[in-house]
Amino acid sequence: MATVHLQADHRRFTGGEKTLRVDGGTVGELITELERRYPGLGPLLTDGASVAIDGELIPDGIFEKVDASTEVYFVAPISGG
Amino acid sequence: MTVTENPRTYKYVGTRPVRHDGLDKVTGKARFAADLDMTGQLRAALVRSPHAHARIVSIDASKAEAMPGVKAVVTGADFADLDPTHPEFDMAVNLMARGEALYNGHVVAAVAAVTAAQAAAAAAAVEVDYEPLPAVLTIDEAIAKGAPIANTTNRTLFSGDAEPSNLASVNEFGRGDIEAGFEAADIIIEREFRTAAVHQGYIEPHACVADCGQDGKAVIWASSQGHFAVRSKTAAALGWSTDRIKVIPAEIGGGFGGKTTIYLEPVAVLLSQKAARPVKLVMSREEVLRATGPAPATKITAKIGATNDGEITTLQSTMYFDNGSTKGFSALTGAMSVASYKLPNLELHAIGTVTNTARSAAYRAPSAPQAAFAVETLIDELAQRLGVDPIDLRLQNAVVEGDATAMGMPHPKIGFVETLEAIKNSDHYNSPVPEGAGRGVATGFWFNIGEQSSATVNLNEDGTATVVTGSPDIGGSRASMALMAAEELGLAVDRITPIVADTESVGFTDITEGSRATFATGMAVVNACRELIEELKQRAATIKSADVERVEWVDGAAVIEGEDRLTIPEITAMAKNTGGPLTATASLNAAGAGPSFAVHVADVAVDEETGETTILRYTAAQDAGTAIHPSYVEGQIQGGSVQGIGWALNEEYIYDSNGVMENAGFLDYRMPVASDLPMIDAIIVEVPNPSHPYGVRGVGETGIVPPIPTLANAIAAATGVRMTSLPMSPPRLLAAITGGADG
Repeated sequence: MATVHLQADHRRFTGGEKTLRVDGGTVGELITELERRYPGLGPLLTDGASVAIDGELIPDGIFEKVDASTEVYFVAPISGG
Repeated sequence: MTVTENPRTYKYVGTRPVRHDGLDKVTGKARFAADLDMTGQLRAALVRSPHAHARIVSIDASKAEAMPGVKAVVTGADFADLDPTHPEFDMAVNLMARGEALYNGHVVAAVAAVTAAQAAAAAAAVEVDYEPLPAVLTIDEAIAKGAPIANTTNRTLFSGDAEPSNLASVNEFGRGDIEAGFEAADIIIEREFRTAAVHQGYIEPHACVADCGQDGKAVIWASSQGHFAVRSKTAAALGWSTDRIKVIPAEIGGGFGGKTTIYLEPVAVLLSQKAARPVKLVMSREEVLRATGPAPATKITAKIGATNDGEITTLQSTMYFDNGSTKGFSALTGAMSVASYKLPNLELHAIGTVTNTARSAAYRAPSAPQAAFAVETLIDELAQRLGVDPIDLRLQNAVVEGDATAMGMPHPKIGFVETLEAIKNSDHYNSPVPEGAGRGVATGFWFNIGEQSSATVNLNEDGTATVVTGSPDIGGSRASMALMAAEELGLAVDRITPIVADTESVGFTDITEGSRATFATGMAVVNACRELIEELKQRAATIKSADVERVEWVDGAAVIEGEDRLTIPEITAMAKNTGGPLTATASLNAAGAGPSFAVHVADVAVDEETGETTILRYTAAQDAGTAIHPSYVEGQIQGGSVQGIGWALNEEYIYDSNGVMENAGFLDYRMPVASDLPMIDAIIVEVPNPSHPYGVRGVGETGIVPPIPTLANAIAAATGVRMTSLPMSPPRLLAAITGGADG
């Protein structure tokens, strides 16, 4: 279980909800649960987003562990020049 | 000048040794890709579309193939057909057209011949039958109702739409209540901003040499910001497995984001395979400008509200970034870079467009300078309207640790306030504005990133060391790797040789981008050194028949029980008797990149008869976290500033009505030179990043973000004219001054 924050783009799947409590022990499990609850959202989170956990951007964070106190942000992918 | 949060305690980190690659570069000995020549090597030339948009009806290379010296011709039919959903589809289509030419300069065929002149002549003899199609050249044309489709393979990213579109991506994000934010505001300012496409302007054109063997494997010598990416992108474009490709990094003559993608290598490999000879392919400057990634042109509307007390209540912005012919660089990043102020109410729309112009590419803090131009102009106007100091207004609203970024997540430890204060306390800011001149201030933010890196540290038998990484050195990273290794090992930096190894000689390493090399690859070096030190302690314990638990590593030596001391050379000399060579390798996917802020101040004079802007004085402060090699940090700050100054005052892609770039050369594409500029005074601010062993944040990109609004604000102070279109070139500024309207 963790708190998940979604970008505006994602909220069309959640009826406008931007912060959700989601079951799962890893970021990947959170995405699986979100896809189950909101079909179509999962691919946006796996292919189209970076993950920030408790304020820190985690590259390829799908296996990162989360718990009840974890704040997970799905944000747009960031690269650089 | 350096403003340091913590007193320095390092012996090597923070010093300024001569860079390891410096002598070769200043004596001309360094070998760039175009310098390489192989036995039996052919030269290649590219056939480019003269149309901005056209269907390729047929390609007849028979005349070219019969010409003297011609050994091979390739077209789109020779390349792998990737599914449009493949992540490298757009890159592959961009390097060789399939079915349609999508912009003027799009490659449609390539020829290899014994000499460059023969290749050029044969390329001119390739007969291509085109059916011209309607072209879309600007953001406004792309979003117009009923606009022709610029690229029929484009689908709007993540929209789920199945129909072709001129939108690469449409995103929206924000927080709070925008309407309530504007209702709470006493002052509301709204403006529209336009910026032209600009080029990264690296001095070395794209170049490579490819040699394909009879075993079906290829070796590529390439100029790039990431040779592992060259390997994977080439493999994707050809439909090959990566083990068939080895990429050897040549020295690189600048990239600034523009060499994070590829244009030539798969073409050279196929030509080499067909001809069974090595093939060298080098772009001309005109080709670089016409057909390699500029930074996107933009159209940005921004509306900001604040109270009479100076509290910013809300920001609303719609940002269009033109990707060019295929999805290039994301509009989102620009929008997300609006991260410097506490914004309780925020609404950002980020839209990427597709047009029949060259595909855009990353350029140093990609898309952030354009966004900063809009937001920092409005902040300056707010300060003007409120009658407050522009730095004080920014300090009042500046984000600190824990405040939300544009994306919502909290900022980690950052040094924005310290950077603002560094400029506020600077000699420049406290000096009087020269008579008749104007002073401008602006800020910039960049995320910085981590990604994957590998490093190996080898101790040689005499106690010297080699640090092996996979990060091409585009900004002095070899020196910073050597300095961190020196600090860890306690070994003088001139006894360490840092090298950049090929794709078969070091672990996978992502591109040198996002200001990540010293941060992430540096962490890999530090980790490898720490593993090596544990091994050195073990060897010392063996030599002295001591318990390893009683061995400490102190200033480059193993100290046994606080007394007996063995130096690195003494341990390496005994290596063969204690377990063999001393080496250690570390790889990581680095988290914890530290965001960086910059604050610039400029004094300018504007000639009201010509519209020419002269920069009288320029000072740039930036939070580096920790400056590993201060000279190169200053160099990055100065270089970013100069590129931003060029973007602000002169540089632009000028297209004719047919989509032909009219200024594809440095004579007409005016970049700043030394005589155009005063000394850029650099102030290094050090608020260490707690996620890096030495506090590194990365410094390569942020410096390009503030110059555009800094100069726009200075010009407004000097002339009373608020410029909202780039470049603020003499004719455009003169028109604005004489017209009495904003430009």
